[in-house]
Parts: sequence; C-alpha cells; structure tokens
Amino acid sequence: MPTFANFNVKTTIDCKQGAVRAVRYNVDGTYCLSCGSDKKIKLWNPGSGLLLKTYGGHADEVTDAAGSCESSYIVSASLDKSIIYWDVSTGTPVRRLRGHAGGVRCVCFNEDSSVAISGGRDNAVMCWDIRTRRLDPVQVMKEARDCITTVLTNENKIYAASLDGCVRTYDIRVGELTCDKVGEPITYLGQTRDEQCLVAGCQDSVVRLLDCETGGLLSEYKGHRGDDYHIECGILANDAHIVSGSSDGDALIWDLLEGKVLQRIRISDNGGVVHSLATHPKRQELLFARRRDMYVFSADLQIEVEQL
Amino acid sequence: MDEEEHLHRFGTPLEPLEKDEVPAKKPVAIEDQIVKDENGKRRFHGAFTGGFSAGFWNTVGSLEGWTPQTFKSSRAEKATPRALQKPEDFMDKEDLGEFGIAPQGVRTRDEFAKEDEQEQRSGQRRRKLMQPELVGPIPGMPVLEQLLRPVRDKVAVRILKSMGWKPGQGVGPRQTRMEKRLATARNQREQYLLEHYGAEGLPSKSVTNEGHSSGGDEGDDDEDDEDITFAPDDYEPIFYTPKENRFGMSYSGLSRDPILSKSSSSSSATPMQHINLFGQLEAKARSKQLSIRGQAFGVGAFEEEDDDIYARDDMTRYDFSLADKKPKQKKQQHVQERHVIEGFSEDKSGAALQKPYSIDLPRDFQPRNWMQRKSRFAPMDKEQARKLETNTEYKRTGLGRHDLNPDQRARLLGEQKAEEKREEEPPKGNPFKDRGKSLLERINARTEGFTKGGVITESGEEQATEMAKEVRETNAVVQEKAALKTKDLVSPALSSGTFKPFLADEAKQLRYDKFVAANLKDDAAITEFLATLQPVTLSEWDREMEKKEFIQAAKIYRPLDGLMNDRFVSEATVQAEQVKEQQKAPEERTVVMERTKTMWKPASLLCKRYNIAEPFGGDLLEPEKELKAKPKISVFDYLETSVNTKANFQTPTIIPKHIEKPKPKEAEKPAPAPPAAVLEQEKPPQKEVEPVKSTFVPKTPLEQAVDESRNKPISEKVELFKSIFDDSDEEEETVKAALTNPVQDKLAALQEELGLPSSASTSAAAVNVLRNTSPPRGIFADFFKPADKQAPKEAAAPPKFAPIEGNKMKISFKSREERLRNDKELAEVPPEEVYGPKLPEAAPQKPVPPEDQAEASIDAKLQQLWQQHAPKKRKAEKWVEKKVISSSEDSEDSSSDDSSSSSSDSSAVSKAKRSKSSKAKKSHKNSTSKKSKKSKLKSKKKSKKSDRPKHKTKKKKSKH
Repeated sequence: MPTFANFNVKTTIDCKQGAVRAVRYNVDGTYCLSCGSDKKIKLWNPGSGLLLKTYGGHADEVTDAAGSCESSYIVSASLDKSIIYWDVSTGTPVRRLRGHAGGVRCVCFNEDSSVAISGGRDNAVMCWDIRTRRLDPVQVMKEARDCITTVLTNENKIYAASLDGCVRTYDIRVGELTCDKVGEPITYLGQTRDEQCLVAGCQDSVVRLLDCETGGLLSEYKGHRGDDYHIECGILANDAHIVSGSSDGDALIWDLLEGKVLQRIRISDNGGVVHSLATHPKRQELLFARRRDMYVFSADLQIEVEQL
Repeated sequence: MDEEEHLHRFGTPLEPLEKDEVPAKKPVAIEDQIVKDENGKRRFHGAFTGGFSAGFWNTVGSLEGWTPQTFKSSRAEKATPRALQKPEDFMDKEDLGEFGIAPQGVRTRDEFAKEDEQEQRSGQRRRKLMQPELVGPIPGMPVLEQLLRPVRDKVAVRILKSMGWKPGQGVGPRQTRMEKRLATARNQREQYLLEHYGAEGLPSKSVTNEGHSSGGDEGDDDEDDEDITFAPDDYEPIFYTPKENRFGMSYSGLSRDPILSKSSSSSSATPMQHINLFGQLEAKARSKQLSIRGQAFGVGAFEEEDDDIYARDDMTRYDFSLADKKPKQKKQQHVQERHVIEGFSEDKSGAALQKPYSIDLPRDFQPRNWMQRKSRFAPMDKEQARKLETNTEYKRTGLGRHDLNPDQRARLLGEQKAEEKREEEPPKGNPFKDRGKSLLERINARTEGFTKGGVITESGEEQATEMAKEVRETNAVVQEKAALKTKDLVSPALSSGTFKPFLADEAKQLRYDKFVAANLKDDAAITEFLATLQPVTLSEWDREMEKKEFIQAAKIYRPLDGLMNDRFVSEATVQAEQVKEQQKAPEERTVVMERTKTMWKPASLLCKRYNIAEPFGGDLLEPEKELKAKPKISVFDYLETSVNTKANFQTPTIIPKHIEKPKPKEAEKPAPAPPAAVLEQEKPPQKEVEPVKSTFVPKTPLEQAVDESRNKPISEKVELFKSIFDDSDEEEETVKAALTNPVQDKLAALQEELGLPSSASTSAAAVNVLRNTSPPRGIFADFFKPADKQAPKEAAAPPKFAPIEGNKMKISFKSREERLRNDKELAEVPPEEVYGPKLPEAAPQKPVPPEDQAEASIDAKLQQLWQQHAPKKRKAEKWVEKKVISSSEDSEDSSSDDSSSSSSDSSAVSKAKRSKSSKAKKSHKNSTSKKSKKSKLKSKKKSKKSDRPKHKTKKKKSKH
C-alpha cells in the first residue's frame, strides 16, 4: 500500500479558450490537451505551461479529446456531432467523421490507435476505423437509453457509461454485451490500471467502484458535490487512490480501499466547478479543469525525486 | 389621237407598270404593318412586349437594359429626393415629341390657333391626301407659304374682325362724317381734361394724340356726304377715379405713409417719395404743362415756376440724426400712451367696430360642427353618457369583481369560509394586555390594525378615525350595491350548484336538478331514482338515454369548486411537498447492481482492428443488418424504439373463423398420406417461429440465424438451411426445396389456414394477406414435388436418409441434347402450356380418381385443400397464369444461387416450349379445369418417374 503524499499545485495555466471542457493527458503524460468551449483544442506542456499547438476546426464546443498511442494523432469529439482526427505536428484535421445524430460527448482510442470509439448524446457508441479512409462507423452500438458520457476500451472490451445509469461492457472476444445497472446516471467512468475495476462517477455525488468481473459494487466514495454537473473522476497511477472533482471548487482524493478522504484539494476559493480532471498515467500528477484554467497538481515527493 | 379626244375618262389611271416590276400580289395586311418612328424603331408593341418602345432600343427588360438608379449622396452633393423625378425622366425623346405620349411645349389650342395652323397641325395629311394632284412645279410645301406667316390675332380681335372690324377703327355703330367729327372733338376734350385734372399715368396718351391727329386729317374732307358712314374713331376709354380727399382738384399732398409702403392712396396720387422721384422728374420733363402737382422739395433748379407755396412738408421726412432713429422712439412713446403692447399697433381702420352679423337661433338649437367627423371616440352626448355611467357604475368601482365580498368569492371558489378557519385556531390573547411591551412592539403585533387606518394611542387602545368610519360606510354602500348587481349573476350558479344544460326542456331540467341534488353514484340507484321522476310516457330507451345524458352532464358541468380544485394548488401545499421531498432526500439510497448479459456481435473489422478472432468464428449473425444496407444514418434510426425494428415486430395471427370449421374434415384428408410426412412438413415453421416469441433470452446461434434470415435474400440463406436440414438427414430434394424460403412460408401459411396445429404465433410474413396466392409454379412447384415423392418412401422406410453429397450439382447439370429431347417430349403434352385467365368452368371439377389419390402428391392435396378451404375472398381472385416469360423469370429471381442453373435450364426449356406452342396454336378451350388436369398429369408423370428415376428433374420442369 503506497503512502499518500499530498498534492500541491505545480502549474496554473490560463488556457484562454473559454471554459475548459476537458483536460487530458497524452499516452505517456508528457503533454496534455485542453478542450475549450471556443471550439479549439490546445496542446500543452503541463510541466512548463507552454502552449505547443492549437487545433481549430470544430464547429462547436469540444467535449473530449484523446491522443493516439504514438502521440502523432489526436481525436476529438465535439458538440457539432463530428469527430476530428488531427495530425499533431501539422495541426490539420486529417479526417472528420460524421455519424452521430447528436453532439459527441466522449471519444477514445483503442490500444494501437486503429479504432476510435465515440459516444454521443444520440445514445450511440460508434467505432470508427481510422486506418482506412472509411467515413462511416465500423459498428454502432445503440443499446444505451440515454446520453453516453464516457467510452473506454482496453484490449478486448469497450466500456460505455451512460446517463441511463448503466455501464455497458462490450466484450469483443466473447461477443457479449454486459450491462451493469447502477441506477444513478453515470457522468464519468475510469478504469484501473489492472483493468479489474471501474470507477464510476455518479450524478448523486457518489463515486462508485465497480468490479468488472462480477459487476458488483465494491465501494462508494462520498464527500464531494456533484449537483447537476458532469463531474469527472479518476484513479491515480498507483491504483490506490481515487480522485474526483466537485462542484464547489474542490477536488477530493480517497483511499481506494478504505474509502476515506485523504485530501481535499482546495483549488480555488472563488468558486467554479472542478468538472474535468486527468490522472497522469505514471506519476502522481493530476490535471484539473476549472473555468478557464487548467491546474497541474503534483505530489511533493514525486517532484523531489524527479529533481534528484 | 383623234379617238382619244372623243373618249371620256373616268377615274384616275393606274401608273403604268414598268417592265421589270412585278406587282405585289397582296397589299400588306393591317396587322402586318408596322409603325416606325423617325429612328426606324418600331413604335408600337404588343401589350405584352412593352407597349411603347421601352428603353434605349427597347432594352428594358433585356440583359443590358435599364437598371434602376443607384442612390448616391454625399455631403457635397446631396441626393435629390425622389419626388423630383418625373415621368418624363424615364421617357424617350420621341415620347416628348409631337406625337409622343407627353408632347411638350406651350402652344395655342386648336380653337384659338389660326386656321392654317390648325390645318397644318391636324389636317395636314388629310389635306395632302385630299389633294394629291396638287403638285406645283416646285415639289414640297410652297416656300412662300412657309415664309409668310401672318401674325396671330387674339380671339377677340378675330371675333371683331369677323364682325367687320378692321384694325385701327374704333368700335361702335358707324357714324356719318358729322357725327364722327363731333365724337372726335368730344374725345379730345375728354382726353385733355383727363390729362390735366384726372388720373395720371395714362399710357395711351400718345395713341390718342395720334388718333386725334388722324381725325383731324379726315376733317378736311367734304362734309356733305350724309350717306357715307365711317367707322368710329378708336379711342381709349377714360377711367375716372373717385376723389377721396378734400384737397383741391388734382392736388395730392405729401403722404403720411411710410417711405416704402405702398398704400392704396399712393396709387391715386403720386407720393413725394424718393423712390418715385425720378419718375416724377421724368414726367415733368416730358410734359411741362402739368402744373398742378404735389411737391415736396420745393421747386427744383430746372423748374421755372415757383408757385408751390402751399406745399406742406412733413418734418418726418428729414433725418435729423445720423445714428438713432427718433421716429421709432416717438412711435414707441406714442404706442405706450395708448396702452398698447409693444410691437403692436392700434387698428385705426375701424373694421373691428363692425357690428357682427347675428341671426335669431331657435331656442333649443345646439351648434354642431358638421364637418367634424362624428366617431365612436367622440365625446358622448351628455344624456347618453349619464345613462351609461349609471349602468356601469359598479364596473367603474372595480371591474365588477371587486364587488364580491370575500365570502361570495370564497363561495364561488368553493373554499372554506375564512371565519370557519379562524374559529379552528385558538383565539389569541390580546397583545395590548401586556403593558410591558413598547409601543413599537405593539404596533408590530397589530400591523393589521395599523394599516387599516386605526390609531393606536399611548394606552394601547385602537381608535378608528372619522375617516375610517366614512370609508367603511361607503364601502358598505358600494358592496351592497354590488351585491344587488351581481345577485342574478351569482345566484343561479349557487342555487343549483350547476349549470343548466337542459334549459330547453323545463321538465327535463327539473329532473336533472333533482338528479344532481340526489347526488347518486350507483347506476342502479340512479335508474331507480329517475324512474320515480320520469313521466310514464317516456319509453324505456328514452329513459336510458336520459340517464346517460344526466350522468354525462353531471360529469361535464361539475360544480365550480370541483373545476377550481383541479386547477389551483395553494402555495402552502407546494411548500409542504417540497419540505417533504427534502426530508426524504437525505435517505440513503442503496444501489443495487444488476447485471444482464446478452449476445453481441462485434463487427468483423472491429475484431480485426482489435486483433481478436471473431467470436463463434464469425458465425454469429449480425443483429443489425440494415445498418449496412443504408450507409447514411438517418435521425430516425435513433428515434426508433426497439419495438420498431423488424426483428421485434410481431403481427398477431388472425385465423379466419370459417377456416376453423373444416378442421375435422381436414384431419381426415391427410390421413391417406403418411403422417410422418406431414409431421416433417410441420417442423420447420415451428422452429422458425419460436425465437420470435422470446425477446431477450440468449438465442442459440441457429435460432438467431433463422431469425435473421427472414429478411435476407435467398442467396444468403443457404447456410441457414444447411444448418437446419443437415441434422435431419433428409434427401437433397428436401434441402433444395427448403432453399426457397417463401415456399416454406407458404407451406406454413397453408398449414395454418388449414387449421393444422401449427404454432400460435407465426411470423408476419406467413400470414401476409397480400402475399402472392397463385398456385406454385416453376421452382415453387418443384418444391412440392419431392414431398410427394418422398411421402410413399417414408411410409415404408424409416425417416433417416443418408445425405447424398454433391447431388445438387448432378441435378443442375444436363446436356443440351438431353434438354432438347426433353423439350420435344414436352411439346406433346399440350394442356400445361396453356396459360391465361381461368375460363368459367362449364363442367364441374373432376373428382380425383381414387387410384390416383393414393400416389397423388401432397402438393396436389394441399392445393385441393386450398381450393376447398381457402377464404372466399381468395377464391374470388382466381389467379391468372401468365405467359411463360414472366413466370419463369419470377422463379429465376427468387431462386437461390444453387438452383439458378436449373432454373435457367427451365427457362430455356420454357422458351423453346413457347416457340412450339406458338406454332401449335393451342387454344384456350383445352383448359377447362386446369388444376384437376394438372394433378392428373402429375400423377401420370409420377408413374413415368418411377420408371426413369434419372429424369425426374426433367419431368419436374416439363410439368411447368
């Protein structure tokens, strides 16, 4: 059981792109992306707070973005119902994928970044083959009864969290759809590194830990306020701590096993919802989005180690 | 030449034709004649092509035509307002010309113009036309005529001229010499007087002098001739001006008028004003005999006479100062003396003193301006207004609704009375009892009283002021009035508690009122109650109707409180509910996890991209096939609920009732046929149907496959049928037969309609009413064959058959010679080829011979059964067999790829057949009862078949 070190603010970046809708790390955590309400995506160096590139081409607010495994492409979801596949270096949209009947809420790459999976307000999960120039989805899963909030994938499964209170697991290997009904609208879904558990941020201000294998509810984490926001949650790289944003401008970190609040990070005193966050894939580092700003938090120890 | 002299010529000779000239055969028709203007443009157009020539070279409407003016305005050059545009701005030059629509230039009207001018203007052409021969030595208009244009005369002059007057003469009766002389003398004298004493400035002085001189000349002539009359001399009439002053004759003093004004007096007497100064001098220089003149400055240097001693000078004319104008000040003082406002002057004309004109008006006359529009907004008649006021007084006091007191309102709304509520509450102790409280506290405690206008004294007593009392009294009065007014409004609703829906029928209304009052709920009770009320004359039916009506009416015209209760919710209850909810909220909601698992087929490409082998080896059929079919995703895909997908759609099975009857009959019928065969036939549809029922239970791959295949083209179903029929180990014929799903469906449908114990829920397609009900043909007919052939076999042998591998191929292949030979054989069989509408059957259907029946095919049986038991509607629409092409092609279309070779064979065969049949020219008469014959033939063929099993497939085709 790794010891917990408090997180402290490392960098604060004013993204200057309207409200920041989502913040994401790239595959190895060296860069981060911020999705703005000004229809642009910005690529940052989270350490220095340096703006590397701006990607513009969406026609509406960008809701989610993901970097490919080799960090040469970005896929982004927008409320303009389209998904754009970007070239990182040139900043040009390589492909624009249209197929959702509503705004696209979330998007992710599979492990080798050959398939992009998106979920939208049209209750559909769509799998896009981005290796070929095919412009229609490879597969559409329309089982969900409400807006898809998060899509995740691993080697052989696709997870889709929906506001209808279900986490649907599409097992490609088995050819089986498992629907785990939580009952509360799920606003965000995270996956542990060992792929055994799912962290589901629910609308009733509870973060729930679900067992992938059995579909059982392992634990509940409370203390934050969700209100009507789509608050995101996540698991830190060591798989021992769970973090979630809050509508009162805080972020909370729980111990995964005990379920007690380890740290309540006061991000800002003057309000603002901490709705989006991203956990560093390796280090004890966190990204938070609040209003127009992006905050990089890091555990002290880690920095010291790095510096050494 | 001599002969010519004797001839008389009438008319004008035509111009002699020149040799080369060919006379135009037809004169140009009127409608073809085109009027052109001087530029050669076409002058008139049709109404639809612009009327007049429009735009520059008729360009309006064309591409490069007239474009509207662009608005330009700058500080330097302001845009002229639009109003300045005239129609002429948009006209051509010709339009403004003499013959245009808007000729310009002032000219005398025709009636005043000179004759020849008139002619020139209007009758020029006419005249020319009338005198075409009038051609002088010089062509064109006579030059002299153009040069010498007489001066235009005035109309009056012309009139005078027409009466014999000549210029230079006077007007009047002709005079003798004597008379004339006298007249001239008189004229001269008058003239002289006028000049010397009368009005000045006569312009015609010189003229008269001339006239005078001319008259003088005439006077020298002989005077005796009495008969010769002369026109009177022309002379200027003398205008006398009345004398308005008391000055001496022809004297005009210096006028008191201001220098620059032009008063009426100045016209009569020339004022000594510096403006007229020169005129005066000039006049003096011209005529020195003018001695009596008004003077201002005394005698000038050039004047010889110095007789103007009485000339009075006005000192106001002299400017004594350089700067300030004294006269002004004087005037002001003068004005002030008279008590007149500065800037105004007293009117001296005396016009104001004029007595106003008055008439005697009738006593009750009310003046009215008739020009003023009398509208409904105009102020009302006093009387009318008063009337209206009295009528609407209660409204004025507050729109009527305030007239109701709270009690009345409450009653209307069906609320509890306020007093009752208050009574429920425990009476509060008088807050004024405790003296310890401060005045402010007391006031706060009794704010009600405070706002009412009561006064709280130091002692804590409340005293209503005089004002309050008055107010209360008036309120009471108003309320009373209002109550009176609204009495009729409220009372009916309150008295009966309802509206009166049956006012037309009084008795009925009474009954209804009683019914409502009784407030019965039970149906029987109502009937009983009404029976007591209803008159005996009412029939049973009427009573029932009335009861219904009453109940309906009571429902509709509910008492008002009921209506209101539905619509309003008091805020207190809303708040209470909210509080309840809040209390509930903190309750722990335990989340119960549910897990459901269903089959899901990942797309093969997805599997590939994920580097995963497809589950079930890709056998799992995709649930949403349609998505591929239409690559464009429509919004409706998302709107559709799961129920709307075809897979989940279930049509309720409808079995016509009259079909059920023949059940026992039918049960007997198939008895001769081996029951095993029947069972076999039944099996597949049951299999098919089952999975439809269970919606969410994980399906076996086979079931899903079957489910899926329903909408697929047959070509894709091969695997499915294999999977279905492989395990049953049937003969290849069965497999082949099963290849055509429609046939199977049909079989199922047939069974169902025959009342066989098939599954309750058949697929929608099976019961499809619109389905082709034609007797099986082509490949479909093939389907029935194996069954009948199989039937006897199965009767003898156990149902297990070794599957014959690759048999399909054998069947499909056939050498050309064989086929041809077959065709020849077929040609000998006439009746099958005959297609067409079924003729009305003269002869009754032949009963199937019993010996044939034994080996008759199930097909035949089924058909028979079909004929017997099919619903009459279907019977009515007897199927018309089409000619070969269409049927064969149909079969081709629907046939599977496996059978396509054979079917193409059959089509080839049929084609050959057709050619032959056309040669043979079979008549329709031969086909009396086709079906019975068919079955016969079939049976015949079957016997043949048994002889030559190798050729059985051929036979099948030949049957068609």
